[in-house]
Amino acid sequence: MYDSHAARKIAESRALDSADQEIIVKAMDDGIETVWDRFADQQPQCGFGQLGVCCNRCAMGPCRIEPFGKKPTRGVCGATADLIVARNLLDDLSTGAAAHSDHGREVLEVLLDTAEGRSQGYQILDEEKLQTVAAEYGIQTDGRKKEEVAGDLARAMLEEYGTLKNRIQMTERAPQKTKDAWKNAGIVPRSVDREIVESMHRIHMGVGADYANILLHAMRTSLADGWGGSMMATEGSDILFGTPTPCTSLANLGTLSSDQVNVVLHGHNPILSEMIVKAAEDPELVKRAAEKGAKGINLVGMCCTGNELLMRHGIPIAGTLLDQELAIATGAVEVMVIDYQCIFPSIAHTAGCYHTRVVATSAKSKVPGATYMEFRPETGLDTAKEIIALAIENFPNRNPDRVRIPAKPVRMMAGFSEEAIKKALGGSYKPLIDAIVAGSVRGVVGIVGCNNPKIKQDYGHITLAKELIKRNILVVETGCAAIASGKAGLLVPEAADLAGDGLKAVCNAVGIPPVLHMGSCVDCSRILVLAAHVADELGVGIGDLPLGGAAPEWYSQKAISIGTYFVASGVYTVLGIPPKIFGSQNVIDLLTSQLDGIVNASFAVEPDPMKAADLLEAVIEKKRHALGI
Amino acid sequence: MKTVFVRPELCIGCRHCEVACAVEHAQSRSLFDAVHEEKISQPRIHVETGINYLTFPNRCRHCDPAPCMQVCPTEALYRDQDTDSVLVAYDRCIDCAVCAMACPFGIITFRSVHQLSTDREVNAKCDNCIDRQRSGKIPACAEACKTGALEFGDANDLVRTSRRDFTLRMLRSEGTEVELQKIPANVQAFRTILEEIAGLSP
Repeated sequence: MYDSHAARKIAESRALDSADQEIIVKAMDDGIETVWDRFADQQPQCGFGQLGVCCNRCAMGPCRIEPFGKKPTRGVCGATADLIVARNLLDDLSTGAAAHSDHGREVLEVLLDTAEGRSQGYQILDEEKLQTVAAEYGIQTDGRKKEEVAGDLARAMLEEYGTLKNRIQMTERAPQKTKDAWKNAGIVPRSVDREIVESMHRIHMGVGADYANILLHAMRTSLADGWGGSMMATEGSDILFGTPTPCTSLANLGTLSSDQVNVVLHGHNPILSEMIVKAAEDPELVKRAAEKGAKGINLVGMCCTGNELLMRHGIPIAGTLLDQELAIATGAVEVMVIDYQCIFPSIAHTAGCYHTRVVATSAKSKVPGATYMEFRPETGLDTAKEIIALAIENFPNRNPDRVRIPAKPVRMMAGFSEEAIKKALGGSYKPLIDAIVAGSVRGVVGIVGCNNPKIKQDYGHITLAKELIKRNILVVETGCAAIASGKAGLLVPEAADLAGDGLKAVCNAVGIPPVLHMGSCVDCSRILVLAAHVADELGVGIGDLPLGGAAPEWYSQKAISIGTYFVASGVYTVLGIPPKIFGSQNVIDLLTSQLDGIVNASFAVEPDPMKAADLLEAVIEKKRHALGI
Repeated sequence: MKTVFVRPELCIGCRHCEVACAVEHAQSRSLFDAVHEEKISQPRIHVETGINYLTFPNRCRHCDPAPCMQVCPTEALYRDQDTDSVLVAYDRCIDCAVCAMACPFGIITFRSVHQLSTDREVNAKCDNCIDRQRSGKIPACAEACKTGALEFGDANDLVRTSRRDFTLRMLRSEGTEVELQKIPANVQAFRTILEEIAGLSP
């Protein structure tokens, strides 16, 4: 017999946010399988895999190392636990770097198509950023049309994916001391694709048996992502769609509308969803929606596609990774548009329980059961209109008896690009630096990353963010972490009341929240640029600054790449979920302490967000002490 | 008495034993063919999570006297005298589940088996790999276990290992915590983290 009290208890254990809890109960009522059910079904999970000592690469295997000191101590090929763990980590990291960078490549291809007049519906919106970045690449801008400059820039950036010059231009943005550390360690990235391809080479049997050498290449690959592929994704998107400026919006599943056509934009790449934003304003389509009895067309974002639209247009955001099934379970979604990354392969199966249509749009990311409407730059706007039309057609199929939408979306602010933060501070980082030197702000921590059903949804993010701001540490966020803070009400200036007196005074003076939403996961590159500018003003390396990073609820290989380029750039980073390295004490030692001597930062693993706050604060105070402040 | 002895502190939840068990009890006894058989063979050993993501591989203990044998109304359960194994005559089993009610370990499950021509479900519990034992091999689960969490041998011999370890610890003043094998620091660190995560998880 169904027990509503028990369902409520389960929902409270799964998610922190009350809107999420409400729909988790509804999903259970409706008999919908969700990620939490699948996680339970997977228990126990294989210890060899969790420790990273399972190798399934070649046909002499699969092999695994006995973790308690007995035989087998080597794979068939002779690989030790150290080597197997290091190769697996490099594999995961390279997958993440490839995901970010391939996203970047597609943005640049649309930029090139737009510059050459082949795309439909796109224009170059941020000429100022175009000029700035073009100048970095040594591209002549004076007296040239923006399309000419953009074409040259897109080609110059795309060339760096496989460049022969063995250099990525935007790594020059790093402070000299940071670059020197990379040079000394031999980890200056040479091109975006090359490092990933070389990773694939290095994890082949018989290519290097030195775990430390493999992990150094992992750092180089991550730098090619953070200061390469991801940064190109951010800059390319800014040039095409505008650099974000502070905006207000709404968050949580309550952003879905009871009387409008709901379209959820889920995934990571904004190139199609930007056109959907345009299409949703088309008077013909708005009229058609009214004819079907809808009060309008309601676009909401999800995951990082949502973050991109939130940052630039203030489009409300329905939720994070673990909200994708819940959005459908409201029964109120006409269409969920997916591009790629972090989309549950079962999403069309979930949608099949309601009237919701899932629309797959990328040739790379087809999903059985989804309607496939391929996005191409030359027909981008037409495809976007067709998708909106499909959603409108589907509106009458919504069954009001099966709809439940949480009552109250939460007010939030986003749009804090690096440029916007600088502007909010009055055009220079001096006020922030002064506050840090004076000690009213102790330092800055970037909380990034995903959700993971292993931890109560958003608990890690929110507990850590609240604890850090209470200790006068400014928090900057991207990805699902930032959405979590939106849902929890931390992204409004009034949240400064939760901060310590020093940070509160700074936030009130500048009119900013104590937790700043800096964008999608590729926008972790914005955090790097911010750190670089502050370090340059002080004439130090990033590793000297009182900074920290945290990924309390990460799940994705992309998070491994982000965490590693944070550390390689000099930012101490605490992971809330253990990476698959615990089968090798040597790899643990390298990543959690020996890296300090190479890049002036290291990793820690700490699931408890209160203890993570202690670790981050201790490092910030250590760095402050070393700076003499 | 020979038995599969469980050392739970060495179980890492890989479920190799489950796979090896299912293969051994498939008609083909081949991994690649077993997954295509009409009646898919299921494991008769169960690796389940307790607290803090710690696992225990649970299988028939082949008790003597065996509660399941004592309550079976059709005498479908019987003992193989050579190996001390409690076995099931599938054609006599009437699927009444009284054996499962009597089993102190909750390891009896009912499945359709390839030995019967019909689809009806019968007590398909661990048979101690009787066929393997008769040909001089150890049970498939113990053979598959790479960490030593499942060890096949004379119970008194295996217990003696634990006793010797305890004695050594006492003499070396390492305290009274019985630990057959010192858990390496990295694995212990991982288990500590899992325990923390378990406190934060649904």
